[in-house]
Order: sequence, then structure tokens, then C-alpha cells
Amino acid sequence: MEPAARLDNNHQISVREMPYIVRWRDDRCKRCGRCTAVCPVKAIEPAVKVRRTVRSEGAVPTPTAARQVVHVVEQVMDMERNCVGCGTCSLVCPNEAIEPELNFQNKFLHYKNKGGDGYKRGGRRNDPSVSTLDKLKFTRISMLTDPALDAGRHEFRVRTLLGRMLPPDGLPLITVDGKLVVDKRNGFIPPVREIYPIMIGSMSVGALSPPMWEGLAMGVAYLNEVVGLPVVMCSGEGGMPSRLLRSRYLKYFIIQIASGYFGWDEIIHSLPHMVEDPAAIEIKYGQGAKPGDGGLLMAEKVLKLISAIRGVPQRVDLASPPTHQTKYSIEEAVAKMIQSMSMAWGFRVPVFPKISGTQTARAVLNNLARNPYAAALSIDGEDGGTGAAYNVSLDKMGHPIASNLRDCYLDLVKQGKQNELPLIAAGGVAKKGNLAANAAALIMLGASGVSIAKYIMQSAADCFGDEYNRCNLCNTGKCPRGITTQDPKLYRRLDSDKVAERVVEIFKAADIELRKIFAPMGRSTELPIGMSDALSIEDKAMAERLGINYAC
Amino acid sequence: MRAKKPQGTSPKPKTGATAMTQKVKQAKSATVVSPKTVELDPSGKKAVIYGTVNNDRVASRILEERIQQAIHDGARDLHVLANGHHGIGGRIWPLGETVKITVEGPVGQRAGSMGMTGTEIVIQGGASDDVGWVNCGAKITVLGDVTNGAFNAAAQGILYVQGSGAARCDTLTKHNPRFDPPQSWYFRNVGDSFAEFKAGGIAVVCGVNPRNPENILGYRPCVGMVGGVIYFRGKIQGYSEKDVKLLDLTPQDWEWLTVNLKPYLAAIDRTSSYGELTRSSSDWKKMVPYTPQDKKEWKRTHKMDLSGFRKKSWEKEVGEGGLFAAYLEHDHTLLPYITTGRDRRNKPVWSNEKFLPPCAFACPTKIPTHKRTALIRQGRLSEALELVLQYSPLPATVCGEICPNLCMESCSRSHFDRPLDIDRMGSLALELPAPKKADPTGHKIAVIGGGPAGMSAAWQLGLKGHSVDIYEASDKLGGKIEMMIPRERLPHDILEKEISRFRDIGVNVVLNKAVDKTGFEDIYKSHEIVVIACGAHKPRSIPITGSENFTSAYDFLRDINSGKSPDMKNKKVVVIGAGNVGMDAASEAYNHGASSVIAVDIQKPAAFGVEMETAVAKGTQILWPRFTEKYSPKEKKLYFKDGSVLEADAVIISVGDIPVLDFLPPSVHTEKGWLAVNDIYQTSDVKVFAIGDATQLGLVTHSIGQGRVLGDIIHEQLMHAPRQPEIKQAIAYDKIKSEYYEACKLDTPVEKLGDSCLSCGTCRDCKMCETTCYWGAISRVEHKDGTYEYVVDDEKCIGCAFCAGICPCGVWEMADNI
Repeated sequence: MEPAARLDNNHQISVREMPYIVRWRDDRCKRCGRCTAVCPVKAIEPAVKVRRTVRSEGAVPTPTAARQVVHVVEQVMDMERNCVGCGTCSLVCPNEAIEPELNFQNKFLHYKNKGGDGYKRGGRRNDPSVSTLDKLKFTRISMLTDPALDAGRHEFRVRTLLGRMLPPDGLPLITVDGKLVVDKRNGFIPPVREIYPIMIGSMSVGALSPPMWEGLAMGVAYLNEVVGLPVVMCSGEGGMPSRLLRSRYLKYFIIQIASGYFGWDEIIHSLPHMVEDPAAIEIKYGQGAKPGDGGLLMAEKVLKLISAIRGVPQRVDLASPPTHQTKYSIEEAVAKMIQSMSMAWGFRVPVFPKISGTQTARAVLNNLARNPYAAALSIDGEDGGTGAAYNVSLDKMGHPIASNLRDCYLDLVKQGKQNELPLIAAGGVAKKGNLAANAAALIMLGASGVSIAKYIMQSAADCFGDEYNRCNLCNTGKCPRGITTQDPKLYRRLDSDKVAERVVEIFKAADIELRKIFAPMGRSTELPIGMSDALSIEDKAMAERLGINYAC
Repeated sequence: MRAKKPQGTSPKPKTGATAMTQKVKQAKSATVVSPKTVELDPSGKKAVIYGTVNNDRVASRILEERIQQAIHDGARDLHVLANGHHGIGGRIWPLGETVKITVEGPVGQRAGSMGMTGTEIVIQGGASDDVGWVNCGAKITVLGDVTNGAFNAAAQGILYVQGSGAARCDTLTKHNPRFDPPQSWYFRNVGDSFAEFKAGGIAVVCGVNPRNPENILGYRPCVGMVGGVIYFRGKIQGYSEKDVKLLDLTPQDWEWLTVNLKPYLAAIDRTSSYGELTRSSSDWKKMVPYTPQDKKEWKRTHKMDLSGFRKKSWEKEVGEGGLFAAYLEHDHTLLPYITTGRDRRNKPVWSNEKFLPPCAFACPTKIPTHKRTALIRQGRLSEALELVLQYSPLPATVCGEICPNLCMESCSRSHFDRPLDIDRMGSLALELPAPKKADPTGHKIAVIGGGPAGMSAAWQLGLKGHSVDIYEASDKLGGKIEMMIPRERLPHDILEKEISRFRDIGVNVVLNKAVDKTGFEDIYKSHEIVVIACGAHKPRSIPITGSENFTSAYDFLRDINSGKSPDMKNKKVVVIGAGNVGMDAASEAYNHGASSVIAVDIQKPAAFGVEMETAVAKGTQILWPRFTEKYSPKEKKLYFKDGSVLEADAVIISVGDIPVLDFLPPSVHTEKGWLAVNDIYQTSDVKVFAIGDATQLGLVTHSIGQGRVLGDIIHEQLMHAPRQPEIKQAIAYDKIKSEYYEACKLDTPVEKLGDSCLSCGTCRDCKMCETTCYWGAISRVEHKDGTYEYVVDDEKCIGCAFCAGICPCGVWEMADNI
């Protein structure tokens, strides 16, 4: 329709539709502009307002009108510039004059499709309810039945094995001159690494800013070299800095290869210069946050650094397709990828695939169980995080990790292979901050280890993101904390030394907490993988589904 | 509970304990059932208590009862023949006296547990687990080894061990300040986990003939130890370094040790070792726990040092500057959240006049009203009014009278009260003389057509100093303004006054010169540039039956303006085509006596503004959609395709005019009867330009505007000046802060128009930005030529956008700070 000569609020959205409402206090504000200077999405801006009062102070009607024009900080009523609730404004406000407030009535998703494209974001599944992992309790406390241990006094070796373990009768051993030796000609002992059961999951150079990635890497090196915790970290797709590839710290890192194969020529060029083998190679087939969806690094992020590390020109969009382009069948694709990656390091490095949580995980596992070179299976559940994805993929696609992992583990048990092929679980570990408890629960359900990513961003680098869709700007390159941006003006807010220090603190604390869980069960040297009799849940259906105790 | 009275009285033993033991043994070997459970000597001070009676082991509960009873009955020297009994010798309350207990035979767990001051226990052989458990003062001597947990939680008393201790000895021992600290002495060595959580007491491990000579304190001693001291002599393999420190003995330590060794060695019958053990204090070491203060200090000095790790290890391995140094061009320093200078995310830009105000943007001539109001604000009213003549030769005629004033229609003020009186500024220009002309350039230009388009082009070119010949077919300048606009809408004297001013700039006006082919050729040859502004002077009609009886609005209006008076008296008139010309025709029909006028159109009428208002006010009815079918002059009826009929004594057709272009050579292309031009109004002949209705029908203001722009284009071409295309955009309305202005309160004498104008996109020099900036980053700089600008001190500015958010004129813009 043709507009009338003058329109006012037609088709304007009201503040009640906004996901966060900015509460600004006129009486406290000194109009210094710190909030508007830092707002990552320009959801607030200075504005001009008229205030007008009419007073009558005489004994008879004696009206006087007083008009005042004032400057305010105003929320922008544009769903393309919605307040994301990050709270950077409150962080920098010297007068506590501004704060975003979650609006449960919002109609955010109703509007977030401007231009005919679905809403994209970072973060993880926006589901703030208590996860299955957080519902699991450890109810088998050994006080007198088994020798309970003292977490503070006893020495613990919380370690796990990454790699294919052959059963004793499968070891290629022969007797030569009365001594057992490995029959290298006719047999192969797969590489196995002893690592810490909590590892830092795949987050790429590119998805993360330089100080964030380096902070994590340095923290991992410190944990290994100073603290003595053999924590490993996965590179994520997108290569690794050659300085790291050529350093002896490489042994603490799992290199990921994904469908975009970014950075792999640079990695191969570094091969002759490597002084150590990497901890493992992860082949990414899926991601819990966005199963069946690919990755995209926006051209704005592909600057000199990313260009050099990924081996691509600057300022181009880098798409990782949802699937590997040369994948034809599960047997063929997985087998050839595992073969190639094993071969690159002379079969000295464990190679394993990572898939997103799915009802088809057992089929993948079944295939891997029969592949002698498969070192593990990593399953990333629906609560995994990501740098960028469609909201629908994040919120609605994928399988919860608990039952997916459990099914896989029980399949291995049926085959008698539960001690042979490790399962790595991820996706929502420590969603509410319970790192050790969630890790221990997954271990007792059958995981040999767990991966964390979003949690480490939150704990080590103060990521604002949460399951109420706070911030979640990872895809935009505007991360106010400097974690997921390639803009130096933002990422120079982040101190990699501080990140590293926090990583160390987090793992040290988790190690103590794991002991607090394992000790009362009488476990100190052997990780209680699959010790599901120790678990209970206050939900009968869940207990039945997971094959654990129901306790209430 | 009261102890039971012993059963019967035993004969006195003849040769003391040893004899009794033999007797027991004999009894055992002879499998003679001993009736004796307790033997007391005649003094009642000594007692032998049997752990095995009649070959049956006495229960620990019963043995305990008998011991307690014996003591209750006065015995002070007990000899217990144990058989694995629990807790022998404990819980005896001698209350100032001394009770001696010798234990013989296999001792059970927790011998001497909860032992009290005054109790002296000698175990003739090794002791089982937890000897001296929670000791509260007993002196316990073990003439052999002690197994696990000896002295666990002991708080007072002494434990002398002749042999070794097993695992977890001396754990959780205490020191209650009311008493002396507990002492524990081990002659040989102790086992693993020694002294865990020790909170007090003195432990001595002599290290004589140890079972493991490499480690006399066992694996990981002193975990959680917070009090007491351990003296030891010999090799160890580690201890809980976070809990205790390893020190040499002080002279005071040495003195205590050498003094207290004597009774210990005497008690365990090892006096001969005194010399060896006191050979040198340097053979000994001691362990004492860190105090809480020490621990704080330890934490302080052992703080996690990631920065140190980076320098000493990380960067040594991966290279200086870290993993990414080779790729990053910025400093390796942190930035705060609030930054200035080049580290800001955004920066403000004083974009004065970057955008056009909506009025100037909407005006086809781009008359800068904002500049006029700025001059008025500066008190330069006449300059403000004169400015318009640089843009139009006919401001009073067009802006002031006949223009629909697109400028006012789009005025930002109209969003909150009413538009600025821009038309009035045009009217006020009526009396102004012609502006000063530039020096002659010598360039010669022909303009064909003396209507608004031709006059506008000629005016611009004439003012710029070019020699202009303007050729007009009729006998008057003004074109359709003169010919067709009803005089009631445009008083003729206004037009005449402005035409006279036009002539004042010395343009050569050739009237009554209808240009034909030959004429065009002559003009073309004698001029550098030819501008065709001949207008559209051939009325269009529609091919229906009876249309030959129609009168064209063109002829109708022109005749009236030239003084003729058509006879419309009491006629029913139908106007076909309800555009603005149709409205003018309808009005004039009424003016000349028509009884009714109905305008019809095939679509929504294009008429608007004053034309329509006037016609409707006079009674004109407008009907649409109406598709005419035929006209019957006989019946005086106009038939429509929908079957409807209108009575029509006269029909005026007003469906537009088309240009007459038969004078043009083939080199100047036309398209469907119109002159084809590109975006600089150039025809297919580069020397020939065309504007106005000859190219497309439009408003008068469009013709004036095209003439104005073409004047600039031709001037720049002739003078070889680089062309600066006018690509300015209109400023967005939401950038204008109308809140500063009070609505409907300003009456606007012309001197106040400057205040009323919102000065969209143009700085009004109000200093709002300078005053608002919290950081004092904005200042006003005045230049020597009288102009000014507002500048930003980048080192103070944080890029908060307050200036952009509050600027009344929308002049400040935020830009990415790249």
C-alpha cells in the first residue's frame, strides 16, 4: 500500500519483542559514552529526548509549560541490532547505570530472518534446563565395602589411553631365544598415548583469536611440563601455526583434518621439520553443534594470519562443506582417511574420527571396531558449541551425548571390545560448570575421555555466552571478549598469559574434583570407564535408557 | 558397670612372673584345665591374669573385666598372659599411682589404647596394630616390632619401640597444650605413610639396622602433617614437600635428643647403642611442618607464573612473540576496553554538507534552502534571498507561485509540525535585480525555445559569461507558463517582472522565430552548442468517433491567456484527462461560464496540489476509471465503454502534448516522438543538448532544474573544467534531531526562517557537540577566510558516538576506524 504522508510507529517493533531490554538509569548516567563505545552490536546509541511538563502553581489555573531537551542512551529498536545481553556496557559503566535484562517474553526468533535468511549465531544449544549429565549422581560410595580412598592423601593417576589397545592374545608377540619380542613383520601394535581424560576440543585458529588460541596452547604446555597433567588439545580445522608444528610441544596437540582440508599443505610442508609427533589426528566428520552443517570462516576474518596458516588467499570466504568431498561410503571413506593420516606419520600416531551425536553412531562404531587402524571414536553431542551455525542446527539438530555414548559403549561390551577402542565424549560437558562431575559421569557411562570447548572459553577467557542466548556473537567477529574475533582492537583485550593461567587452574581444580569423585569409589589408578553401577538418576525412564540405577 | 569379683583366691606365686609363666605352659602342655583366671600375691599388689583358661581363650571383654577388677582390688603390678586380646592395658585410671602392666604372649590390636597417665606397659615382644591408639599418657614399651598404625591419634604419653614400625605409624598424633607432647621412638625404621596428618608430638626414628637401609621413613611420610617434629637418622626417599621442611638439628634439639635417648635405650635394653646414636648431631635430621604463614609464603613464591613460563620456556621453543608473531603487525600489548586514537573501533567524522537536506534533494533545481537559512541566521537576509537567482531565473514565478514545492513536501519539519515557508523565499526574490554577470568567455550558444527550460539554461550560461542566443517561436518568453497557466494562479505581472530581469543579463532574445530545418542548420553552424528546449506544443488526442469535435486543453488555455474568451456559458463540459492541465482547463471552463465540469480519466487522476484544489473548489467532478467510446456531437453525449454516458456540450481533451521536432536533422535522434538524451542531456549529436518537455513531460520546476544542471555541464565542457557530478544523497530523516525544536510555536517572519530550519545535514554551529563531548575531544576551529569546522582530538576521543547521536543537524557521522 502507498504510505500516508506521514507515518509514525507503523511496523516498528516494540521493546517487548527484544530478547534483552537495556535498563538505563538516567539519574546515574554521566553521559561519558563508554557503553556506546563498547557495545559490540551498536544496540544502544546516544539520542535526544524532549521532556515537557505543564504545571499550575497559582491558586487559580495558571499553567506554565516547561520543556527540556536531554541526551539519553537509548536502545535501538531494530532486530538487526538487537541487544544480545552481553553486558559489556555494564562492565565498563563507572556508575552502574546500564544493564541488559533478559526478556522472557521476547519474539526474537519470530523476527530474526531478515532478508529471507535464517538466524545464524555462535554458542551452543539454547537450552538452559538441567542436562542429563547434570542429573547424574554418583551413588556408589565405598565407605566400608571397598577401601575408600582419601582424595587428598592418596596418590592418584587420573589418566586415560588414546589409541587402539590390542587384547593380550591379539598382541603380535613371538618367542625368540626364549624371549618375547614383537613380530614386526607380521603384526602391528597400534600407537597409544596416555593422556589426561579431559581434553580441550577442536577450536580452530580462525574461529579463535590469536591470544585465545595461544593462551589455550600455552596452558596445555604448562600443564604437561610443569604440573604434570598430560592434557592434550585439538587444533580444530584450519591448520596450526608452523612455529608450533616445528616445536617439541607438538606432542601435546591433536591435529584435526576436516572437509575443507585447510592448512594441510602447510602441515605437510612442516613434516620434515617436526621434532615430535602430534598426540593424535582427529578426522572431523561432524560437529555436535551443527550436525550435517559445514563451516564458514567469513572473508573479514581471513586476514594475513589465517591466510598464512590455512594456505589460502586473503579476504575470501572459506567454506568447509558439510561432508568430505571424496566420501562414498562409510567403509571406503573412513578407511582411506585413517590410512592416509596414519601413513603421514609412519603409523606412529593414533588416528580417529569425530562424528556428531547421531542415531547412526553405532553403525560408525561397528565399522571402526573392525578397522585395525582406528584409534578411537569421538562423539560430539547436541550441546556442543560452535563458532557459527544456523540457529536451527544449533537448537534442533543432533543427539544428546549421554545415551548415544552409552549405546556405543554397550555395543563394544557386547563385542568384548570395550577395552580396545576408546570412546571420546563431548557436547555440553560442564554446561553448568560441573566439569569434573560431567566428565566422571561420561566416563562411568563408558567414555575413555571427554572434550571441552565452550566451557573453557567461559572459564578461561570470561566468554559471556550462555544458554539464554547471551552474546553468542562468535560468528560475527565482534566478540566483546576478544575470544572469537580476528579484529586486533577486540582480541587485544585478551591476555594469553591470563588465559593460560586459567586453563592451568581449571585443570588442576578438575583433577582434584575428579579425585573427590573417584576416591570414595575406591578408584585411584584405574579410570572407572563404564563403571555405571556407580551412577544413579532421579528419573526412571532415563535410568532404564542408560542402564543405570534409579535412585530417589 | 561394676567389675565382677574374681572367683576364688589363688595361692601365691613362689617365683614371680617367670615361674608363673612356666606353670601356665606346663598346664597347657599337660592339657590340665587350669582353674585359675587371676592370681594375686599376698600383698594384693601383684596379679597374674590369664588370657587362656582351661585351654579356652578368654574373651577380650572378660579379660578386660578381670584386669579392671584386679586394679580395683588394689593390684598395681599386673602380668597379663595374652592370647591376641584387644586393647590390653588401656583405660586404666590409677589416679596418681603407677600401674605397671607386663604383657606376655601374642598381643592383640590396640594394646594400651586410650592409655592414661600412670600406666606403664611393657610388651615383651612385638605388638599388633594400633598400639598406643589415642594414647592419653601411658608409657608403652614394645620389646619388638610394632605393626601398622602404631600411636595413631596419640595425644600424650610415650611409645618406645625396640624394633621397627610398619605402615601408617604416628598418624594423626596430637599435642594438647595442657599436657606434654606425646613421644614415639622407633629404634630401627618405620613403614610407609608415616606421620600423616600429624598435628603434634615428637617422633624419633633412630635408623639402627633398618630393614630398608635406603629409606628409613617409608614411602611419602608426613602428608598433611601440621604439627610436631620428627627426628630421624638415616636415608630417606622423599616426603610430602608441600607439608614439611627438612632441617638440621639445633643445639636445643640435640640436647633434648641426647637426654631423652638415655631412658629410651634403657627401656628397650639397647643402652649399648647410645654412643653410636650420639656420635654427631649431623647424623640426624628433623622434619617440621610449615606453619600456615610458611604455606602462604610458599604459595607466594611458588605462584603459577605463566608469564615466566612464556619467557623461559614457551617463546624459547616456539619463537619470540609467540605462535603468531610472524603474522601479526600490531604491538604485542593489551588494550583496554575503552580506547582512543587508532585503537578506537569507531571514529566520528564531521560530515558537514555531505548529504543534501531533503528540500534541496527534492528540488529538481537543487536550490539550497539550507544555505539560505544559514545566511538568514547570520543576519545576511538579502544575500539569502539573492542566492536563489544563482539557481533559477524565475523564483517568484515558480517557487513563489506555480511550483508544487517538492522542497516543502519533503521538509523535515513537516514530520513534526509544518514545513518551512520556502515558497515565500521565492516570492521575496521578486524585486531583486539580476545578479552580476561573469566576464565574457567568447563562447557562443544557441537555445531553441524561450520557455522555462530554455530560459533556465540561457540564464545559467549567460550568468557564466557566455554569449547566448535564445530563439522563441511566439512573441513572448515564458513558454507554457505564459501561454497556459491560468492568470488567476499566476498573476501576470510577476512573470513579466521576472522575464524583464531575465533580459537584464543580456541574453540575445529572438522572438517570433519558429525554427525550421534551414533555420536549425544555420543556428547549428553559427553556435558551438545548441540547446533544444522547444517544449511540447502539439496536443495529443484519442482516435474515437467524434474526437474531431474535441477542443484541446492546450488550445483552450493558450487562447484564454492570449486574450480570447471561449464561450462556455451554461455548457456542460467534460474534460478528458484529469492531470493538472486538465484541472486548469476545468477551472477556466468554470471561469468562462460552464454550468458543470466533469473530468474523467482512465486511471487515478495525476492531478495534485493547487491545480486540483482550485478546480474541485469550483465544482469540478472527477470520475475514474472511465474509458471513452465515442462522442456524439449531435446528442451532445460522451459514451463510455462501461455503458455510461455523460452529457457534454463541450469536450476538452487534456491527455498531454508532444513535441514538434520536424526541424531536426536525422543526426539528432528521437525516440517515439521525444528527443532522446543521455544522463548529461546530450542528444545523439554531441553538440546538441535537449531539456524540458521536448524530452519528457514534466513540471515547470523540472524544466528549470534541467536547464540549471545543463548550464553547469555545458560550462564545464566549454571551459574544460573537470566535471564534478552531483551525486549527493538526501540525509536520512532519523539523523535530524527535531526534538531540539518546539513544534507549532514558531511564527515565521522571514528573519526567523533561519531558526525554524532544521539545517538538515548542514552544521548550524550550535556547539552542541563541543558541549556534549564528555572527553573534551571536539573543538571548533575558525579559519582565516571566516569559515569554520569542528575537529576531533583523536587522542581524547573514545568513539562513543555521542556527537553523532545528539547533533541537531545530523552532521556528525560514525565511521569504522580503519
